[in-house]
Amino acid sequence: MQDIQYIGEHLLPGRLGHFFVLTAFVTVILSILAYRKRVLHPEDGSWLTFARISWGIHSISIFAIIGILFYIMISQMYEYQYAWDHVSDDLPMKYIFSAFWEGQEGSFLLWMFWHVMLGGAVVFTAKRWEAGVMTWLSVVQLVLVSMIAGVYFADSFRMGSSPFLLLRDTMQAPIFNNPNYLPLIEGNGLNPLLQNYWMTIHPPTLFLGFASVTIPFCFAMTGLWEKDHTAWLKPVMPWTLFSTGILGLGVLMGGAWAYEALSFGGYWAWDPVENMSLVPWIVLLAALHGNFIARHTGLSIKTTYIFYILSFLLVVYSTFLTRSGILGEESVHAFTEMGLEWQLVGFIGLFAAAGIYLLASRNKSIPTVAKEEKIQSREFWMFVGAMILAFSALLITFSTSIPVWNKLIDVYGSIMGKGDMTVYHKAMPLDPIDHHNRFQLWNAALVAIISSLAQYMRFGAMAWDSFKKRFTKHVLISLAVGLLFAYLLSLWIFLPSWQYIILLIAASFGVISNIDYMINFTKRNLTSMASGLAHGGFALMLIGIMASGLNKQTISQNRFAQEGMVDGLDAGNNAFLIKGMPMFMNDYWVTYQSDSLDGLIRKYEIEFIKVNQTGDTLEQFTTYPNILYNRQLTKVATANPNTKKYLDRDIFTFISGLPPEQQDRSNIRKIDSLLDYKLHYFKPGEEKDISGYHVTLDSIVLGTHNTEYDREEDDLVISGAVTITDSLNTQSFQVNPTLIVRNGLLYSLADQINDLNLRMRLKASSLDSLFPLDEDMVFEPLTMKSGETVMWHDLEISLDGIDKHIDHPSYKAMDGDIAIQAILSIKNQDAKQYIARPLFFIRDGSPLNMKAFIGDLGLHIKLERIDPEKEEFHLYLARMADTPLLPLEFAEEVPRNDYIVLEAILFPGINLFWAGSLIMLIGMFLGMYKRLRKR
Amino acid sequence: MVNNCLYWLLCRKFAQRLIRKVDNPKMIKKSGFKLMPILILMLMGGGIIMLISASKDMSTYSTFQQVKRSGETAKVVGVLAKDKPMYYNAEENPNLFRFYMTDQDGEIHEVTLNAPKPQDFELSEQVVATGSFTGDEFVASSILMKCPSKYKNEEVLVRSNM
Repeated sequence: MQDIQYIGEHLLPGRLGHFFVLTAFVTVILSILAYRKRVLHPEDGSWLTFARISWGIHSISIFAIIGILFYIMISQMYEYQYAWDHVSDDLPMKYIFSAFWEGQEGSFLLWMFWHVMLGGAVVFTAKRWEAGVMTWLSVVQLVLVSMIAGVYFADSFRMGSSPFLLLRDTMQAPIFNNPNYLPLIEGNGLNPLLQNYWMTIHPPTLFLGFASVTIPFCFAMTGLWEKDHTAWLKPVMPWTLFSTGILGLGVLMGGAWAYEALSFGGYWAWDPVENMSLVPWIVLLAALHGNFIARHTGLSIKTTYIFYILSFLLVVYSTFLTRSGILGEESVHAFTEMGLEWQLVGFIGLFAAAGIYLLASRNKSIPTVAKEEKIQSREFWMFVGAMILAFSALLITFSTSIPVWNKLIDVYGSIMGKGDMTVYHKAMPLDPIDHHNRFQLWNAALVAIISSLAQYMRFGAMAWDSFKKRFTKHVLISLAVGLLFAYLLSLWIFLPSWQYIILLIAASFGVISNIDYMINFTKRNLTSMASGLAHGGFALMLIGIMASGLNKQTISQNRFAQEGMVDGLDAGNNAFLIKGMPMFMNDYWVTYQSDSLDGLIRKYEIEFIKVNQTGDTLEQFTTYPNILYNRQLTKVATANPNTKKYLDRDIFTFISGLPPEQQDRSNIRKIDSLLDYKLHYFKPGEEKDISGYHVTLDSIVLGTHNTEYDREEDDLVISGAVTITDSLNTQSFQVNPTLIVRNGLLYSLADQINDLNLRMRLKASSLDSLFPLDEDMVFEPLTMKSGETVMWHDLEISLDGIDKHIDHPSYKAMDGDIAIQAILSIKNQDAKQYIARPLFFIRDGSPLNMKAFIGDLGLHIKLERIDPEKEEFHLYLARMADTPLLPLEFAEEVPRNDYIVLEAILFPGINLFWAGSLIMLIGMFLGMYKRLRKR
Repeated sequence: MVNNCLYWLLCRKFAQRLIRKVDNPKMIKKSGFKLMPILILMLMGGGIIMLISASKDMSTYSTFQQVKRSGETAKVVGVLAKDKPMYYNAEENPNLFRFYMTDQDGEIHEVTLNAPKPQDFELSEQVVATGSFTGDEFVASSILMKCPSKYKNEEVLVRSNM
């Protein structure tokens, strides 16, 4: 291909971007080297300054990269692949952040951004630990920068994927032979599924969570590296608590997003991507508890090291699973492959190797305590609890990693030369929700019980002999009250098996004992309540999970309609609702009231009414689920649920199905072509009986009453006003089949009576005979004065006067128009009277007119001129030779198009889940605050 | 209420006995009794049992023939048979969707899903149907479809019962 001089490209931002990527890369390497020197030679102060300057320039470079990428996206420079892929002309600015981190490169940048911010905090606060922690943080950051480097080695191995690539370099397309291709391309825009505020707030929180896991990892690695195994245990604690809080919040937000905006019908589905964001958090909790033990007793330092390293490795592993495309057939989450699989594997391998090496080489220097923990001590049970947490994480990871095991089997097969190993491949459990719940139930129950017991105990079983009485008393009281509480809850929560009874008792005991702990053991001091809030919140969350999950009730089941149709199987969770027709389902009268289009969103109004046996309304509310169309308004892009929230329950509603015509415009023609239309000619006023229906053509009118008609300027619209009566039920319906001429094209707009499954349309080819062009008609002049009556052929015409209030359907007023309508009343031989209002107007100094049309008479009337001096109106009249005949086409057995398929689910006590989780996270942040203040 | 009182009494007695036992350092010393290793062993044992039983939950990717022969529930990977008819009529039954799917052996079989037809199902590139045979009918409890929407690879999971 010869060189082409492209027109209009902005190449400077991209070059600057590449420059800053390179700068970030080099400075982070310098930062590693300088901080390392500082650790090895603490006496030499100059290395620290150099390291800080390097990190500072690195930070500025990362900000610059992000700034430039934002600039490219906001300016819609589609010559850049990243902007082309994630932005479009019509993307609202509020989604520019979402678009930024929709792509992998952007999300890596987000991750690096948080590392830079956290690194800054470390530089300013970590003092003695700064050099070590920053060395490791820089190493992690180096790996991340390499992910967006976009450097090729030996043409085949690419390191990283740059966000500053030009579109024409990433794909081969004939359009790039055109030097002026830019005006011809439009961005792809943001996936409509992601166009909501959750996409704006969830990723930054989750990535701050991921980034914050790195800091405790760096502390642990520094402790090992410097062989200072105990001093780091204290300064790391606020970081760990911050991380558990933020990462927990990120995971929770993911659940809230799924619940609020996706069609899951729940906040947690044990999807691989959800699991792998949860697992690092659980392991970090285990590390946190190991850290507590180590600080207070000197025990379990090694375990703490292992858990901290593991939590970081799991973050990287989670990144690998969700971004490498390996989950393929198992996950509902949308992630595109980036070709970085081996780089991500290397990422894990590098840090796993570093961790294992340091642990092995420092093994001997890690202090161990010879004495055995006492069973009455807090550390004993805390350790057991940490082990259970770790085991829970292991179990989730094991099931979620099945695709990885399959890959490993393949690798093994190819190394051993055994050929295809596909037969050994496994798939994820058939019902992952049941699978994980069944096992995690035990971990949750044990954690709830053990955390409560351990909290009452003291480190080192201090003064147990005098304490044991108090301990026993509090445990037993809590247990008794907890049992009572569990009993009361069991009246409300449906418990399907004995395992859940145990979990409920454990959770109730957890809630009560933590309340007791906070009242009696913390001196009512808020900051000392941190652990009580965290553990009590967890127990409350368990109750919320059981209430909302086990008591979840589908409202949208129409038992009457489905009776006998589905044999043996469940009736299904979706109900068929006809517009305006109340349906009774599970205690509620549900009505699809209306829908309205606003921009790209069609909002549905669904009314729920609950009545008692005497007919009094007990409860009434309305929900507004909606659907989002694509940009052309031709297809449904996604459906969004809407939830009615009460304090004690939620009602979740979701549009799970629509008539095909409303899902996709292209279906309208498809369905119409399947119908069997029969043609009937009608004179105005004529009545006919057609297959059991009494049909009357009331009149032929210019304009239409068809509700589907969306007026545009310069439309020519003609319609029949038809009344149809069902001879049996004496029900009467009005339909308005319509023909529209718009921009020289002819459209036929059918009208439908859903209750009779009838559809009616006008035969398109009849337009010319019904509404001929002016050239094909003979207009006769007629001059009249106001108040005059004349005979014109067999019609009696009176000019009643004029009207300055213009109502001509084709007229659109413009500034400076002078417009007037003549009012004519016309009587035919049957003495039937019609009104015609021809329009005369002056626009930009030229006289113009718009004719009036009386369809029933086939009469066209123009007001050509007004003579103001003689007060004469110069009219031109033309009339078709024959009585007009309207060709109406009828189709029977037409499928309805006025319905929705609705899913409505009742989640009782879901607020207990949100409240419990938030209390737990508040406890963690409170713990962090407590430790920061103590310093 | 009576129940709770009973619980209270029983628990108190039991707890007192337990504490007395644990509290007696002589007893522990005499037997060389160490609780931590035992507890860890117990946890590990329980863990291994859980892991083994968890791995029994694993399913397999299968074909219609294999699922029919085994009579069990499994995941069938395949593609939508686009030249065959699809059935969904919300008016008759909003929870019944039928389509034909070609599995990896090239066998075409009808699949029944007790849920509404997923949006853009016609465009799906790959379908993973989890289900089993009822007679000659393959009834799916969930289907996962991969869709090349105009610009993103999106996947959609549809479950018939949640």
